[in-house]
Amino acid sequence: MKIIVHNDKCQGHARCWAMAPHIFDLDDEGYIKPGDIEVAEADEKLAWKGAKSCPERALEIEK
Amino acid sequence: METFATSPIPAHVPLAMVGDFSLFSSPGMQPTPNGDPQAAAAVVHEGPRIFYSPVNTRDGRGTWVITRAQDQRRVLQDPETFSSHRSIFASALGESWPMIPLELDPPDHGKFRSLLNPLLSPKRVMALESAVRERAVFLIDRIAAAGTSCHVMEDFAFPFAVNIFLRFLGLPDDRLDEFVTWANELLHGDNVQRPAAARTIIAFIDELAAERRKRPVDDFMSFLVQSKIDDRPLTDTEIRGTGVLLFVAGLDTVAAAIGFDLNYLARHPQDQEMLRGEPSRIVLAAEELLRAYPTVQMIRVATKDIDFEGAPIRKGDYVSCATMIANRDPLEFPHPEKIDLTREDNRHTAFAYGPHRCLGSHLARREIVVGLEEWLKRIPPFRIKEGTSPVTFGGHVFGIENLILDWS
Ligand code: HEM
Ligand code: SF4
Repeated sequence: MKIIVHNDKCQGHARCWAMAPHIFDLDDEGYIKPGDIEVAEADEKLAWKGAKSCPERALEIEK
Repeated sequence: METFATSPIPAHVPLAMVGDFSLFSSPGMQPTPNGDPQAAAAVVHEGPRIFYSPVNTRDGRGTWVITRAQDQRRVLQDPETFSSHRSIFASALGESWPMIPLELDPPDHGKFRSLLNPLLSPKRVMALESAVRERAVFLIDRIAAAGTSCHVMEDFAFPFAVNIFLRFLGLPDDRLDEFVTWANELLHGDNVQRPAAARTIIAFIDELAAERRKRPVDDFMSFLVQSKIDDRPLTDTEIRGTGVLLFVAGLDTVAAAIGFDLNYLARHPQDQEMLRGEPSRIVLAAEELLRAYPTVQMIRVATKDIDFEGAPIRKGDYVSCATMIANRDPLEFPHPEKIDLTREDNRHTAFAYGPHRCLGSHLARREIVVGLEEWLKRIPPFRIKEGTSPVTFGGHVFGIENLILDWS
């Protein structure tokens, strides 16, 4: 599973990070770092929840 | 309490699109004993997705009202069309400087956000946590030692929020009472108290900035006076606009959230029980309480004519995105009227959507969670004190007063 990160939409709510800090890495201002995220199989459920928690819809799940 | 000028409905607004709902004057919005203004605002979901409310700001102006969360996202994520440039604070004084970053639009907005974001980032807030907890414990222990009832806003919510703000600014606690009074008069005072409090706060911020320019220390104001934007130092007006905003943004909102939360828990002993038994649930519960009891109405100004879901919005029109309305949108939240402290998938808009997402959201969340954790740990099962009624009100920022809890 892969998470496509739309940085232009990220506003730094950090809800993804609150769900799974080891999957969603934030920069010093608190916005998600650029680059799509390859998710390890063991992390899929958590990553899915994290992506779904973004209020701005900045994280797109690609199966 | 408030007096409204009656504003004529602009000619471009079709009469069929005029609604009679107002966050200031509809049922439940005026001071109401045992009221529930957020639930009262949800009546708009029986109506259209957008309508025109002829009197929907403090100074009696009309606004378009966007009811659906999805449409509010569209408005708030599009600052080019829906601007934040309004100078609300200054215009009440006959001046026109913006509060920063609240009343700036991109690209200037982003420059100030980049400057301020690291100060209140999620990681920075983790470092502030122990000071927040220490304050909560101090205040609640004092309440518990003093008896079996308390005035939540005066004894806990306000001093807690103001104190953390003072620490953030790097000021000693001895001015706490003064600050609480200013904040109260600014937000809820009458037409004389409000501008007077605004001037006092401005003078205080100006004075503090001047002092820190002369003798910088390790605090927020010193950081601000030494900062640069576009390779130049901030102007006095920019420093004032930023300082004043932080003052008004983080006090009342946090205090009101804590007040509404404890009011809810006082009336729902089973939820109290659940959180007391399993404190690890408080983090999730706090999100649901933020969804159910958000306090802020956001206003944007149209920068051009645009037809929005059938509404002819014209340049200069005000557009209201009320968080309490979006957060009770049935298309976004199944059974929005049901307050379920175990609700997951809760992308509420208490802290806004779009570039103006609350700068203090990470700190505010921590304050609320820590406040509830320590309260439930230290105060036995509590209820609204018999014979008393908390008074709620709507408006630009919703609030609650006279919240007296009892655990005798
Ligand atoms: C539960 C408490 C709080 C709530 C519900 C809340 C809500 C909001 C909302 C809805 C906005 C967007 C306003 C708009 O776009 O027109 C906002 C902006 C802002 N808030 Fe908060 N807030 C809270 C606490 C705080 C705290 C504790 C601070 C400061 C430490 C703070 C600082 C700010 C600032 C600086 C902005 C302007 C951000 C910008 O324009 O880019 N807030 N807040
Ligand atoms: S939840 Fe969304 S907006 Fe918030 S940091 Fe993550 S990607 Fe950005």
